[in-house]
Amino acid sequence: MVNVIHEAEFGQVKACAAAVVDFSATWCGPCKMLAPVLEKISEEMKGKVDFFKADVDENPNLARQFAIQSIPALIFLKNGEEVGREIGFKPEAAVKSALQRVFD
Amino acid sequence: MSRYDIAVIGTGPAGLEAALTAKARNKSVLLIGSAELSPKVAKAHMIRNYLGLPNVSGGEMQAAFLRQMEAAGIKITDERVKNVYAMGDYFVLQTGEIDSMLEAETLILATGLPLSRNLPGEDRFLGRGVSYCATCDGALYRGKRTAVIGYAPKEEDEADFLSELAAEVLYFPQYTGEVRTAPAVKVIPEKPVEILGGESARVLKTDGGEYEVDGIFILRDNIAPDKLVPGLELDGTRVKVTPQMETNIPGCFAAGDIAGPPYQYIKAAGQGNVAALAAVDYLAAKRKE
Ligand SMILES: Cc1cc2nc3c(=O)[nH]c(=O)nc-3n(C[C@H](O)[C@H](O)[C@H](O)COP(=O)(O)OP(=O)(O)OC[C@H]3O[C@@H](n4cnc5c(N)ncnc54)[C@H](O)[C@@H]3O)c2cc1C
Repeated sequence: MVNVIHEAEFGQVKACAAAVVDFSATWCGPCKMLAPVLEKISEEMKGKVDFFKADVDENPNLARQFAIQSIPALIFLKNGEEVGREIGFKPEAAVKSALQRVFD
Repeated sequence: MSRYDIAVIGTGPAGLEAALTAKARNKSVLLIGSAELSPKVAKAHMIRNYLGLPNVSGGEMQAAFLRQMEAAGIKITDERVKNVYAMGDYFVLQTGEIDSMLEAETLILATGLPLSRNLPGEDRFLGRGVSYCATCDGALYRGKRTAVIGYAPKEEDEADFLSELAAEVLYFPQYTGEVRTAPAVKVIPEKPVEILGGESARVLKTDGGEYEVDGIFILRDNIAPDKLVPGLELDGTRVKVTPQMETNIPGCFAAGDIAGPPYQYIKAAGQGNVAALAAVDYLAAKRKE
């Protein structure tokens, strides 16, 4: 499952050993297409990596903090520290290999 | 929304032949591209090496192709594809805003010779201050300084759109003729040479100066195949294909100039034929599962 997150609750994300945050927006085509891909991967990686989704319009401070300039942007975090990011739509295989590079 | 069996992008000889073959095999086909066909067909002076059409002008070849499409009952969807999403089991083609999405189970890319020259710095800063779509990423540049590099007059609309959000829009037209933009857009007729920056793009360098900006929008008609279809594997600038015209993405095929040299009409058409038959086989195998 991909959990919707707001900037006020971001501590929750920082507490995860391995987390992915999907910065996106309702008006963004590639974000809409990436969502089901992430949903599927999150099920497969359940218990290993936690998935979150942050709307850039609702969370402008968080978006600024991570210097988001293009969406969708996937931010990979280990214990709250950014360890990588992927920008733009990617097919399932490409998202998985990016995750493996960072978390395996 | 109905899902087509096969979507073909591009209306040059490769795409047209792929559509003809797919139709002959009773598949539902979405053929998408210019209804005027490829400019490389229409503008050719004299063609001497295409079987069945001896010594024709490009105009004559174009007319013959159009007649054959009509006779086969193949309609051309006159649009440009902006983005393709490989969803696993199917493909989504985006032609405009978020609501203009078309779906197909397989995809044949026949978009012609890929553009080979990116601006230095363009790849490095893509998604980090460089964007290909003002209507997509524009909202992230609210109150910021932006540059728009437009390769065709229609991009003036994108610059106008951006000027409603951004603090500043510098417009660099890369074509001749009159430029008509909103009053808030500053038109600078210079040629970009490089994008500079650190973590993200900061400076657009042109043959006339350097411009400090927060975002650079590069709007071209012909986008590189791996930008059109994220995840697609290239070999240099061409799409990497097997002899069956398969790409690295299951269900996605490529044909014609996009798949590499030689650049010839009959070779493009031949590859379109192979790609369509490979797509037909792929569909048959998938439906047996
Ligand atoms: C002046 C000239 C003369 C030539 N003479 C000869 C000759 O005598 N003999 C010969 O064999 N070859 C000749 N060629 C080469 C020949 O034109 C090409 O090899 C051939 O056109 C390639 O076909 P194609 O279908 O792969 O691509 P193209 O013909 O380039 O067609 C690709 C089409 O896809 C469209 N497209 C691209 N991106 C998108 C998108 N995102 N959405 C929708 N549509 C898109 C393009 O607008 C274009 O219409 C000549 C070329 C030129 C320029």
